[in-house]
Amino acid sequence: MSAPILALEKVSLSLGAFALKGIDLALASGEILTLMGPNGAGKSVLLETVAGFHALAAGSIAIGGADMARVPPERRHVGFIFQNFGLFPHMSVAENVAIGLARRGRAGGIASEVGELLERFGLAALADRDPADLSPGEKQRTALARCLATRPALFLLDEPFSAIDARTSDALRAELKAFLIESRIPALFVTHDIRDVAALGDRAAVMRAGALVQIGVPDALFRRPASRFVAEFLGVENLLAARTLGRAGAGHWFEVAGRALHVAEAEDDPGPAPLLSVRAGDVRILSPSDVSHARPGLNRLSGIVARLAPDGPLTRVTLDCGFDLVAYALSRSIGELGLDPGAAATVEIDARDVHVIAESRI
Amino acid sequence: MRHDASSPATSRGAYLVAWLLASVLLAFILLPLLDLAVNQTRAGLARVAGSMDALDAVRLSVEGAGLATLAAALFGVPLAYGLARNEFRAKGLVSALVDIPLAVPHTVAGIALLFVFGRQGIVGAPASALGIQFWGTLAGIVVAMLFVSVPYTVNAARIGFEAVDPRLERVARTLGLGPWAVLARVTLPLAWRGIMTGLTLTFARAIGEFGAVVILVYYPMTAPVKIYELFIRYGLDEATALSLVLLAVSLALFILLRYFAYGRRRNLGAGR
Amino acid sequence: MNATRAMAMAAILLLAGAALAPPAHAEETKLTIFAAGTLAVPFRTIDRAFEAKNANVAVQPQFGGSVKMAKQITELHMPADILAVADYNVIPKYLFGANGKPRLADWYVGFARNAITFVYTPKSKFASEIDAKNWYKILARRGVEIGRSDPDTDPSGYQTVQMLALAAKYYHAPGLASSVLANAPLKNMRDTETSLIAALQLGQIDYLAIYRSDALQHRLKFLDLPSEINLSDPTHAAFYKTGIAHTKNGALEGKPIVYALTIPSVAPHPALAAKYIAYLLGPEGRKVLAADGFGTFEPAYAVGTKVPAAIHGLTAPWPSS
Repeated sequence: MSAPILALEKVSLSLGAFALKGIDLALASGEILTLMGPNGAGKSVLLETVAGFHALAAGSIAIGGADMARVPPERRHVGFIFQNFGLFPHMSVAENVAIGLARRGRAGGIASEVGELLERFGLAALADRDPADLSPGEKQRTALARCLATRPALFLLDEPFSAIDARTSDALRAELKAFLIESRIPALFVTHDIRDVAALGDRAAVMRAGALVQIGVPDALFRRPASRFVAEFLGVENLLAARTLGRAGAGHWFEVAGRALHVAEAEDDPGPAPLLSVRAGDVRILSPSDVSHARPGLNRLSGIVARLAPDGPLTRVTLDCGFDLVAYALSRSIGELGLDPGAAATVEIDARDVHVIAESRI
Repeated sequence: MRHDASSPATSRGAYLVAWLLASVLLAFILLPLLDLAVNQTRAGLARVAGSMDALDAVRLSVEGAGLATLAAALFGVPLAYGLARNEFRAKGLVSALVDIPLAVPHTVAGIALLFVFGRQGIVGAPASALGIQFWGTLAGIVVAMLFVSVPYTVNAARIGFEAVDPRLERVARTLGLGPWAVLARVTLPLAWRGIMTGLTLTFARAIGEFGAVVILVYYPMTAPVKIYELFIRYGLDEATALSLVLLAVSLALFILLRYFAYGRRRNLGAGR
Repeated sequence: MNATRAMAMAAILLLAGAALAPPAHAEETKLTIFAAGTLAVPFRTIDRAFEAKNANVAVQPQFGGSVKMAKQITELHMPADILAVADYNVIPKYLFGANGKPRLADWYVGFARNAITFVYTPKSKFASEIDAKNWYKILARRGVEIGRSDPDTDPSGYQTVQMLALAAKYYHAPGLASSVLANAPLKNMRDTETSLIAALQLGQIDYLAIYRSDALQHRLKFLDLPSEINLSDPTHAAFYKTGIAHTKNGALEGKPIVYALTIPSVAPHPALAAKYIAYLLGPEGRKVLAADGFGTFEPAYAVGTKVPAAIHGLTAPWPSS
């Protein structure tokens, strides 16, 4: 892999109620990393630190290979976008875009470069507008044009869509992603919205109390959360307290409330009482007419339908298998699957879809 | 005010009560001034308007208040920015300290300033070695005016700065602007109205100050001192005549300052 | 309760409260006195004693420059029961109906004397050297800062100038007045001399022209100037006349410093005012004045024929000079 554009090594600092504890992170060219975590985890502080607004107590930050230790924000070549895009309200669209250009001291050339940027982002007709009069999409484009004018090495985005309705933010997300991919500029994207993770992120990370608790491709986080915290934060529906029975070939056998589950993961020592994480989407409800036998590698469990919670096209089905198990079914299939409260039902879980959170990491 | 269609009686009633109270306040301010103007004789006004002494006093007041306002801008605005942007333990104390001149009786303020800026004062003594005196000089007038009026600048400018999102300043830094450029091109333009409001209030307060000024400076006479002297030497007619001249000049200057604050700026974000 | 009702109620309560607030001490009679600033200390003592002897009377004095106090009555039409000034000339000049102005008083009584002097502190320049013989030479020295009040507006201001003119004659030193006044420029002048006491104590000025009574009340060192020049003795009135102060109000001849009072015709409580003045002119009043550094007259000198009966007995006609 080519040298990372952004490299954080053991970045630590303390800022009143917020702290960063030994953050290690690297972003390659063109990569988008979504960063999640609860309030107070330090996500915004991390972005601000990368931008150069807080001094490090320990560790180092390198952008484009150069150590940023004594480099102030105005010389770091990062593009910063925050909630509602942070356009300067006292300047027109054109003036906003132009503001970063003056310092590169080519007074005559500025006007033409601004013109090019406005053209490229479809803002030419809006050049003299007041930012307050723009639609969210137009604001985003103005903010991006403004950043791009300074030729950033890196984008830092702090929940830019959090104040925008879902439909509009979908459109904006798509536009933003297309722009980032085309420009090949890596981005660190802080969000509360899981949709951003799936849609945008090449990789995702979860922060808690100043530390990075897991980082990887989104799939890895959802399928193999590193701890109970990550699993709960990402909304994994089934976290089962288990008891280790023993090894079985490449995997282990566990007991959950009297039922046995086979898990195919070759995990290091799970300990006697680990947590099993199963996404509801991986729990398949069998039709009553299906009389096949359980094949090896597939766990079959039977239970009683405890609750049904319709949510548009999908219905969340909670089964009592001796323990609560959540699954999803198409709302229109509820009838043919015979899923009435109190009815018996059978589910199947692939042994590879169960993730073990070792006791030491719960 | 827009009428709430869902409950016409309530909002119209509230509107009327508010209007009534507002009218009472405006009348409270206007009536004494109108009374002054109406009872003024043309002869008295002509005598004062033609008197070099009286016009000099007005000129001196405007000069002193102008310099005091500049000093308030130079020293008060940075303090306001510091208070707006920083959290520190002594912040409450500093804020209270800034407000103290508003509570000190004017004569007491004058004596306290004399203590510091007088011939033997901790600032006055070394200053006089450099040839700067505060007793009976324009410098003394400015010092007395500044003391009683600077809180207005600091408080209003602080509110102006607090209304500027610090994230906007950070974005400007990442766009390549150094700290001073950010101040000049982002922070100050957005806080401009608050700052100008503060400076206008400072100017207004300074130009009318009597008690603190007169302890340090009687001659040369500022307008309030001259008005008092005219009252003693002649009478009410001459004193009110000069008061009206001072009021007219002050009003014209306030209007100018307001225009400067609100008039030419195209796009001021919040409150536009 | 909706917003309209709340606001209307607040407004009504406010106005009602203001209108119905019980007046304090409805049965008390208030005696209003306008007096010269230098009378503040003795008058406050006398006021308390008078209140103690007269139930339900509240004496409410106001102090300031003599001319200012007179004009508060003549120009601003503020009601006063008694006007007491530091220069007896102020009463006829402003209240006796000169220049077509309304006549607001018919008589006045001179009740105390004072002397013009200079006060100083141990930190004043040449403080250890100065005495009643060499004072005019020391005050003329370079670097000495002298404070005084404005002769155009304040009695002690023009009285100081008159005293210096008399001193020039007394000591046979023709340039005396101008050389001393050179050290008392405009920047050292204030509307009344009491404003300059703080400046003296803070070392901004070295010497302050002021009344002997103030010197004693503020416990300041002062010069015991000869009575021929310090305007304290009516028997020297003829000589005093030769000391002239040139002011914006004309050339003013020196006169003995006699404090005078009157009851203006607009007084709300003239009978009570006369009772107060009788007390002031009596032995207890004179004792307080003497203790505070004023000279007194026994009997007091009266000018005008309409002196109220309660006072008349305590006065004698003003000696003509």
